[in-house]
Amino acid sequence: MFLPTTSVGSLPKPDYLVEARSKFSKKQTTREELAELEKRATKEWIEFQEEIGIDILVDGEMYRGDMVTYFAENLDGFAISGLVRSYGNRYYKKPIAVHDIKRLRPITVEWYQYAQSLTKKPVKGMLTGPYTIMDWSFNEHYESRRDFCLKVAEIVHEEAVDLEKAGAAYIQIDEPAISARPEELDLAIEAIGIATQGIKAKTLTHICYGNFSKIYPRMLSIPVDQIDLELSNSHFEMFKLFSKYPFTKEIGLGVVDVHRHTIETKEEVVTRIEKALGVFPTALKIYVDPDCGLKTRTVDEAKAKLRVCVEAAKEVREILSDRYGPAKSQSSEPTLS
Amino acid sequence: MKTTVAGSYPKIGDLTEEQKLRHALHQFDRHEISEENLQAVQEEVTREVIQEQIDSGIDLVTDGLIRWDDPLTYQAGKILGFKTTGLTRYFDTNTFYREPIVATRLESRKPLLASDYQFAASVSQKPVKAVMTGPYTLAKLSKNEFYRNLAQLAYDLAYIFHQEAIFLEEAGCSVIQFDEPAILHHPQDWQLFLRVYEVVTTGLSKAEKVLFLNFGNLGELYPKICNIQVDTIGCELTKDHPNWKILKSASFTKRLMAGLIDARNTKMETEEEILEIVHHLSEIVPLEKVSLAPSHGLEFLPRSVARKKLTLLAKVAKSYQETKVS
Repeated sequence: MFLPTTSVGSLPKPDYLVEARSKFSKKQTTREELAELEKRATKEWIEFQEEIGIDILVDGEMYRGDMVTYFAENLDGFAISGLVRSYGNRYYKKPIAVHDIKRLRPITVEWYQYAQSLTKKPVKGMLTGPYTIMDWSFNEHYESRRDFCLKVAEIVHEEAVDLEKAGAAYIQIDEPAISARPEELDLAIEAIGIATQGIKAKTLTHICYGNFSKIYPRMLSIPVDQIDLELSNSHFEMFKLFSKYPFTKEIGLGVVDVHRHTIETKEEVVTRIEKALGVFPTALKIYVDPDCGLKTRTVDEAKAKLRVCVEAAKEVREILSDRYGPAKSQSSEPTLS
Repeated sequence: MKTTVAGSYPKIGDLTEEQKLRHALHQFDRHEISEENLQAVQEEVTREVIQEQIDSGIDLVTDGLIRWDDPLTYQAGKILGFKTTGLTRYFDTNTFYREPIVATRLESRKPLLASDYQFAASVSQKPVKAVMTGPYTLAKLSKNEFYRNLAQLAYDLAYIFHQEAIFLEEAGCSVIQFDEPAILHHPQDWQLFLRVYEVVTTGLSKAEKVLFLNFGNLGELYPKICNIQVDTIGCELTKDHPNWKILKSASFTKRLMAGLIDARNTKMETEEEILEIVHHLSEIVPLEKVSLAPSHGLEFLPRSVARKKLTLLAKVAKSYQETKVS
């Protein structure tokens, strides 16, 4: 498929779920009642993605609060601290490694199975990467960041194996923290290597909001098939780097900014995709998606942003097929430049 | 030996009554409350966090940077010529700032932070320190689309910060702190940095000027950093931090703001550990020239842990004084 569309992972929770989560935290509702609503919201998002024609779906993470805390809450060895600010007006309950970390049971597999049961299109298995879990937690137990990170890598690997067994064709391991300390890039690469070792499913990692110039092109050796990047927020500045050192993996192309309320127009997004087609080698597979998870947007904004991604990708496919004949596969397609 | 904080204080805590700012910002974002309403909440929270610092036993407090969205955009938003763009990670943290863009020549027609200082001072029983991200770091982390080079940008900012220091002194502020983490990562800009601070502090004699250098170690900037025109230099001095070795390599000639308590990890230091660290400090600089502080702003910690760490810091300072007296 040429220019398949997808999304990065999280989607906003509908009001009834936000309310139920708040009630649950005050012990005014049961775990089972909350889970029912989480399922309902997941189903609604799967239906929406089907309706607008997204090619590779996500479950939307209706059952997760924060991408790191969710995993920590479901592992042995973590305590959860109080609220810490991440940016703007957003806070998360930052985990603390307090003793040896163990996975007691699969964490995301049942949710993957549920979401996949609702659609014939592929649903991605979504994991947070070992380096990010380590970097975004406090450490009161491990001797070094390396020990902590590699331990988490083993756990992410176990989870990836279970997702693959359950049928996941795509396993995404998010590593937004990876650019924070360029001197630790090798550690992050080693850890992702442990997590993805032996996995036959397509593996990908999502990276965002960092100083990419310090880790590129070294980051191309991250052992995954695809790297998904936030590009719109930074006005596609990375393209300069790509012209110097060609990108060698499949790329997830962030074409809408997830931290702004305004919805990009189809024309804007078409221009962004066309620009990318001029930058990447012809044979490189490009996936079109938003910059990052959309959970910080309202439901309506998130829907509009997803819709514009799909419509713009479709438009570019049409432009190209008008110009060059039917777009069968990207490798045989000339690019716009 | 006095105690102080590095700058920021957690904006919210875990209790419902500690979350009013988060709530107000959400409402403001949805146009449900006015800017005046939001400011009232910011003032209320500022008042609370000042009181928390005082209750923890801190001698020199800050307004907690409660109004600041991130270390750059609050100030940049008050300087004409800046606009802001996308999110970028702040050093090696998992917090972000919106990158300021220098679009036209920078100028500032009114005080940036003096009114915040005045408010804080009016509600605090302890002296209040004004904290700002310094001109070099602001210049370095901004995207320059106007000036011919970094030096020109930094000099214009230096004049703006000089004027700001005058405003703060006139408002009665006795300690002004400039955070300059970026210089640790770009020591090659040392000559420029030195000149920038000549401009910033020249002719100012009323307030104590503090240069705070965190998110790294002093490295090759030491000992020449002692030539800079400020009274106090602050740096990270948590247990086993590389700065310990660096500071011992040459004599330290300024007052020292020692970032002893790890503000980026919840793990609690013990009183004994901190006392031992203080003892090591006395080998570097006479303790009467030292103030004790956390290694960073406290925003990286949950509020409950920040409180505990400050209480410990104050306790150590107190028990050290007592041992000295006895």
